Amino acid sequence: MVRSLGIISTANIENNFGVLCKHRPVYMLPYGGRYRLIDFSLSNMVNHGIRTVAVYTGEKIRSTMDHLGDGKPWDLNRRINGLYIVPPITQGYTISRYGDIPQFYSTLEFIEYSKEKVILINEPNIIAKVDLDDAMEHFLETDADITLFYKKIHDPLGNYINCEKMSISEDGDMINIGLNLGTEIDFNMYLRMGYIKKDVFIKLVKESIEKGDADYIQEAIIKNRHKYKINSYEFKGHVENIRNLKTYYDANMNLLKRSISNAVFQENGVVLTKTKDEPSTIYTESAQVQNSLIANGCIIEGKVENSVIFRGVRVAKNAIVRNSIIMQKSEILENASVVNSIIDKQVIITEGIRIAGTRSIPYVVEKNQIIGRD
Amino acid sequence: MKKGKIVAMLLAGGQGTRLKELTKNLAKPAVPFGGKYRIIDFALSNAANSGIEDIGVLTQYKPFILNSHIGIGSAWDYDRNVGGLRILQPFMSEKGGRWYKGTANAIYENMNFIDELDPEYVLILSGDHIYKMNYIDLLEAHQQKDADVTLAVLTVPWEDTVRFGIINVDEDNKIVEFEEKPKKAKSNLASMGIYMFNWPTLREYLVKDNEDKNSDNDFGKNVLPLMLRDNKKMYTWEFKGYWKDVGTVKSYWEANMDLLNPDNTLNLYDRDWRIYTRTRNLPPQYIHKSSKVVNSMINEGCYIEGTVEKSVLFGDVIVEKGAVVKNSVVLSNSVIKRDAKVYNAVVMEGVIVESGKEIGMENGNKIYMVTNDKVVAE
Repeated sequence: MVRSLGIISTANIENNFGVLCKHRPVYMLPYGGRYRLIDFSLSNMVNHGIRTVAVYTGEKIRSTMDHLGDGKPWDLNRRINGLYIVPPITQGYTISRYGDIPQFYSTLEFIEYSKEKVILINEPNIIAKVDLDDAMEHFLETDADITLFYKKIHDPLGNYINCEKMSISEDGDMINIGLNLGTEIDFNMYLRMGYIKKDVFIKLVKESIEKGDADYIQEAIIKNRHKYKINSYEFKGHVENIRNLKTYYDANMNLLKRSISNAVFQENGVVLTKTKDEPSTIYTESAQVQNSLIANGCIIEGKVENSVIFRGVRVAKNAIVRNSIIMQKSEILENASVVNSIIDKQVIITEGIRIAGTRSIPYVVEKNQIIGRD
Repeated sequence: MKKGKIVAMLLAGGQGTRLKELTKNLAKPAVPFGGKYRIIDFALSNAANSGIEDIGVLTQYKPFILNSHIGIGSAWDYDRNVGGLRILQPFMSEKGGRWYKGTANAIYENMNFIDELDPEYVLILSGDHIYKMNYIDLLEAHQQKDADVTLAVLTVPWEDTVRFGIINVDEDNKIVEFEEKPKKAKSNLASMGIYMFNWPTLREYLVKDNEDKNSDNDFGKNVLPLMLRDNKKMYTWEFKGYWKDVGTVKSYWEANMDLLNPDNTLNLYDRDWRIYTRTRNLPPQYIHKSSKVVNSMINEGCYIEGTVEKSVLFGDVIVEKGAVVKNSVVLSNSVIKRDAKVYNAVVMEGVIVESGKEIGMENGNKIYMVTNDKVVAE
């Protein structure tokens, strides 16, 4: 078995999420009642035998440090290898502040010295539990320098406009990556994930720094596509491409469908996350819960419908939560109602307050707010 | 509080024969409780929350599940560089080896372990009970009286005194008499099996007790009465709060049901005194459109399409459409199939209740123990 070095870097799309990403990078967005987006990447890697993972954090690093710690929930707290958290360097020998290439370049020694000969790159805002062993087999069999993963998307409604579109030749080679403008109903969506031979990766980083012609590794790959053998690997499972508030909301709501929650939570191994030691959730006499995903540690006394409820949330008597996402330790007090909304962590919606958004533009309440009458 | 190193010794060898199927493959401290815990989690979490840094866990009876549950104690932050948790199994020496005879003998056999840590106090705990206690309160009472040993006691209903070791004290809480399960008790203070000893005194009496060939080497029966005869300074400290010894299937069921009572004093939701356990990494629970869930405690990984009322469901339980679970405790990985009904039952781990089957009676007094091959009324 060939082991790869996992590299997680961040998609710089924080502006698309408003206050939700005021203090956290996109990959730290809470998802599915008890997870962060990065948990899916980390768990999938660990479940496929990857033992060295480097996380290039981006600038909003506090929540990352708190969540990842020494990597224990993912068994990455190893004496040998394990988890490496790489905060950004914004000065010195990095030529440009932007992009992941300067960050990779600043840690090139670490990448060079690692024993793994193959690198798995990925960005956790796309959830895809790819069978990495199968993909590795394909990568090795086809003797590719780079194998990029994609998913065939059938999109008559234009839900995937502005996602990355991969053109692929008949024999599976990657031709180019552009944007899906919705001109075709079927297209191949690039998953921002793939295997790269380590020496090719290093060469791409060094050359880009020297020439100054690419800020992102993806850019460098595309620019050098004629120099290397770059092919593709089709992922057939479920994908969530979380790229703005709407897709974030929808991705959570999708989990209310059993086939999707099974694919996201069960396929290719369990999803690991930092535990909070919450007791089970209690439903009182007055609770009315329907079609909802509910994490542990909640006290449910009111009505909850079509919603995703994170750990330690309280929904008081006669309160209503509908089509909403309520994050950790928030409280919806008596007679309050929350509809089509996203409530960030530790928010209190006080007695009788009503908040509502629409399903296409959910109302967002920022972390640590107390919403009451003036 | 004065300084002084404490070593906790947690007796976790309990067989719990009256729990029947629940203890068929594991020791009583490993019995699942309260949706996601095992009974021993309470004592371990109390010790961790009390700031006790050294703990020895004495296992003996069917220890495999218990051992893998505890591991190196990381769930309770006992995976330490200095100190931490050690599992103390019976062992062989040049004089031969043997099983732990009684509670005191278990500690006697591990005197070397305690000597090496060289503590001032040894706290004896039992892994059989459900309660939340700050052991430092007990230590403070012990230090205040400058006692040789201080026993945690509980006021029990007079009619229950016959089931307990009863302690008679003077107005200063000094112990004057022990009565083991008395028919006519003089007091209703029951021993909780939690003792704070000065180590040198305990050591002396463990050796003395061991020399007595007729002794059962039990704390309650032998060591403590021996100390009383020698006029040692022995005091009680009264614990006020929820405490349960789940001895039988019925009391096991009741203790789980207690958690559904809004006034229950155990309060698992207290963030300042968490009960820790080994995590299973299950996804959140899903409550379906066609379901009804009231008055229940449900753990991660459950998938509920039917009706769940006044019940405690452990992890990964499936309740299919039309199925009813009422007044019941359902352990992990069980499936209640379509239209099956389960009333007043304890459903064991991984049991499949077949479609349409009916277990128990909705308005009966009996508790039904459900395994894959039989249903036994208690």
